[in-house]
Amino acid sequence: MQYLQVLANGIVLGALYACLAVGFSLVWGVLNVINMLHGSFIILGGYLTFFAWQNFGIHPLLALPFVAAILYGIGYVTQLLVINRVVSQPVLTTLTLTFGLDLILYNYMTVFYTATPRRVTLDLGHVELGGIFMPVDRLFGMVLALALTGMLYVLLRGSRIGRAIVAVRMDGAAAALMGIRINRIYAITFGIGALMAGAAGAIFSMVFPITSNLTGDFLGKAFVVCVIGGLGSVPGALVGGLALGIIESFAGQFFGPQHALTVGFLLMLVLLVVKPTGLTGIKGYE
Amino acid sequence: MVITLDKLSRLMVATGFVAIGFAASPGNAQDTIKIGAPLALTGGLADEGHKQVVVWDMWLAKVNGAGGINVGGKKMKVEIVKYDYQTNGTRAGQLAEKLVTDDKVNFVLAPFGSGHTKIVAAVAERYQVPLLACASSSESVFNQGLKYLFGTLSPNGGVTTAVVKYFKVQVPTLKRVAVLGRDDVFPKSMAQGISEAAKAQGLDVVYDQYYAVGTMDHSASVSAIKAARPDWIYVTGYTQDLILVRKQMADLGVKAPIVSMMTGPAYKEFTDGLGNLANGVTSSNWWHHATTYKGVGVWPSTQDFYKEFVAKNKHDPDYVHASCAAATVVLQDAIERAGTLDKAKVRDALAKTDITTFYGPVKFSPNGMNQERDLPIIQVQDKTIKVLNPPEIKSADFQVMK
Amino acid sequence: MTPTTRYLIFALWVIVLASTPLWAGNYFVRMAITIAMFSALTLSWNLIGGFTGYPSLSTAAFFGLGCYVGALSQRAGVPMILAWVAATVFVAVLAAVFGAIILRLRGHYFAIGSIGLVEVLRLVTSSWGSLTGGGDGLNVPLVQGGPNVVAQTFLAAMVTIMVIVFVVTVLVDRGRLGFGLRCIQQNEDAADMVGVDTTRYKVIAYTLSAMFCGTVGAAYASWTGYIDPTDTFSILMTIKVPVMCLLGGAGTVLGPVVGTGVYMILEEILWANFLDYNRAILGAVTVLLILFLPGGLLRISYKTVLAQLAARFNRLGAAA
Repeated sequence: MQYLQVLANGIVLGALYACLAVGFSLVWGVLNVINMLHGSFIILGGYLTFFAWQNFGIHPLLALPFVAAILYGIGYVTQLLVINRVVSQPVLTTLTLTFGLDLILYNYMTVFYTATPRRVTLDLGHVELGGIFMPVDRLFGMVLALALTGMLYVLLRGSRIGRAIVAVRMDGAAAALMGIRINRIYAITFGIGALMAGAAGAIFSMVFPITSNLTGDFLGKAFVVCVIGGLGSVPGALVGGLALGIIESFAGQFFGPQHALTVGFLLMLVLLVVKPTGLTGIKGYE
Repeated sequence: MVITLDKLSRLMVATGFVAIGFAASPGNAQDTIKIGAPLALTGGLADEGHKQVVVWDMWLAKVNGAGGINVGGKKMKVEIVKYDYQTNGTRAGQLAEKLVTDDKVNFVLAPFGSGHTKIVAAVAERYQVPLLACASSSESVFNQGLKYLFGTLSPNGGVTTAVVKYFKVQVPTLKRVAVLGRDDVFPKSMAQGISEAAKAQGLDVVYDQYYAVGTMDHSASVSAIKAARPDWIYVTGYTQDLILVRKQMADLGVKAPIVSMMTGPAYKEFTDGLGNLANGVTSSNWWHHATTYKGVGVWPSTQDFYKEFVAKNKHDPDYVHASCAAATVVLQDAIERAGTLDKAKVRDALAKTDITTFYGPVKFSPNGMNQERDLPIIQVQDKTIKVLNPPEIKSADFQVMK
Repeated sequence: MTPTTRYLIFALWVIVLASTPLWAGNYFVRMAITIAMFSALTLSWNLIGGFTGYPSLSTAAFFGLGCYVGALSQRAGVPMILAWVAATVFVAVLAAVFGAIILRLRGHYFAIGSIGLVEVLRLVTSSWGSLTGGGDGLNVPLVQGGPNVVAQTFLAAMVTIMVIVFVVTVLVDRGRLGFGLRCIQQNEDAADMVGVDTTRYKVIAYTLSAMFCGTVGAAYASWTGYIDPTDTFSILMTIKVPVMCLLGGAGTVLGPVVGTGVYMILEEILWANFLDYNRAILGAVTVLLILFLPGGLLRISYKTVLAQLAARFNRLGAAA
């Protein structure tokens, strides 16, 4: 009974982890860029949702598509104007660049929104199934994670843009020769990554207190999830998220909350060395 | 683009001026009293850092509006030199040293939190500059034998024992206590304190754990607490942690007659972030605006401070605001009594402080901490803060949480 | 730039830093200590990140470990300098073991693994309260003496460490090891095929890059007198060090020193003058540097720039 609850906790937590890592993973896989802005994008999405709710009474689930669209725009422009200029440089260059951009975005949010933790205080309650509690807002997170992953899958397989993204990922030079405008594809991909961060942020505004202090924590989780699931693979983010959620939940139960995070990171390190392609075993984006 | 000679020379002149501006700190040495303040304006403690700025600016306006501080018969204006140390310990130490040696401040105000106060205190002690700490209450900061450090909060120890006593009277069936603390200087010492005080007074501590800094989910602890069936759940942490814990308690259907959070309800952002879920949560607090102290300083009574604060900020002040404002009042009093800006003499005057301010009595123990006193126990009722204890300022009875 | 010019510039810089007590207040001395400290860290990082081209993000892991080993030794009564040596040795051994495991990874995988180490060590330190004091942190016995004595002691210590790392860098640069590392940086598989023992070379480079971070950490702990897990195992530091190195020019001998000096002075000016926007400005500067100076300050051809400027002045002169 107790263990079923721990498992349920792990699954819904894992869904949130998957939510926050999907966009990060896509950008990593296609652009080969470790996007240090990702945590701030999520928080920005959270802030936008919160202010829409506080000032205009818009429900977060209703605000979600708009917030996601705004983040897409920000991501698209950032990639087109800034990151594209050095996108083919080594990891460390793009990492430093996005780190610099993150300092700007972080500072902007701290000054204009303040670091005060805020939350959309709409409590959607929980469902109880034979003594097992599942919070409704986290279930929404789960639906969102599944939907985002699914939509991305369909988009990449079924649409012209999607196939172009896959083509660029597989062989950028060849894709360019085939007439694909690579810079535009990069911008779209980065935009989609930001869009997913925004959507996650909208859900998170009901679950977590939103504050610019959390950007680093979110980013850190995205790292771990991607490594566990397989770097740059979108279904991997889903698997990695769920795995991490369940592991942390059981580790918290058996070793105490003090050690739950350590177990997650240790697992990441071990997987990196033993099986760098992650649990799903998919290499790169597929 | 061709740079003309004219443009170039103008650019060079401009750069020169900037350089001089950086090199020369605003001079004429002792017409103003300079107080240094390393502040966390970005990073993990940004919110708390801004609270300090708000009240210090209020104090500054009042003092300078009245012509300044009276130093041995001469009125001197006050200036507070502020820097952002980004919630980064290395930086805090560096800025403290900059304030003392480069800006040549006369006194220093410590940043928020026990850990960073320690770092700044080490620098202040080295240079023998009086340092006032207004937001650290852990004995571990004050038991280092530092002579120039004074704190306006009273020790954690007294708070914990009093709280346990109070709840034992209120809920006679109280037996099982669950404690969950953040593994960080202040929240950890509070959690340790409660668990020891509870054991000492015959209660069973059925859950006693810490969570790591950076924990984003508390479902494991909350589920385990549920299984332990406590009568009293006591959680410590930063506001963002506490909001999350309280939310997850509701999500997972965890209930107890008493739920206390340190220092959650003392802050407005806690109730704002929780809405109805905040109702019923209790806490202890170092100060509440319902108190009616009268005393020295630019705010003669608690009411004066409260009214001015609300007029300026449109919300209630919390203990950080009050304690930090009080620190400046205490400093002013000590300077006036010393009649000089001499650091050692002001330090001695601080050590002899025995005054009442709008914030309450201030008298430092030999270790530099404000002495123990009856601290308010508060509860959120219908989204507002009610005082349960001490009886003089009580505004509601304790309500058992359902 | 000939090697001699490089060494001369470095020697001058050492003299500038070391002489701060003679011509400036303790605040500048503290800045000099911090610059020397970070220069030692960037020079160290350069061995693995610059020469070998492995994007290591584990500086803070070894720095933090050094802090704790040094602090714990000092608390156990070990004299200060010996405690620093102990920290160096301990970190070197640990880095060799960890390097042997993690250096099999490349690119992103290596970057993530190395940053993961910082996080794991922070969490372990934080939860191993009985040894490390956990979140409470540790007090380290303060060095006795007035502020001037303390400042001068640690200035001497940090500058010495910086010089040692610089000498190591020069030796590596001119020796067989440096050649091997550059081969690995160019093309690891090819290097392996022509007989470079890549694993051994990488582990040596990684260990060298880690051990002095340990020394710096231990010295830092003695200097500041108090350490805690979040400040010592700081992700910000682990990223800042490569940024400074890139700014100067990764893979060069002088680049890390130049990059650190420029970055730290810039940062100082921003901090002192922009209360609310210092991070954003630092971010903007980082972005501009990456976009417009991707090779670092040392890779700019100053001759070309000067020639162009001279040509412009000549034209102006002719017009007048």
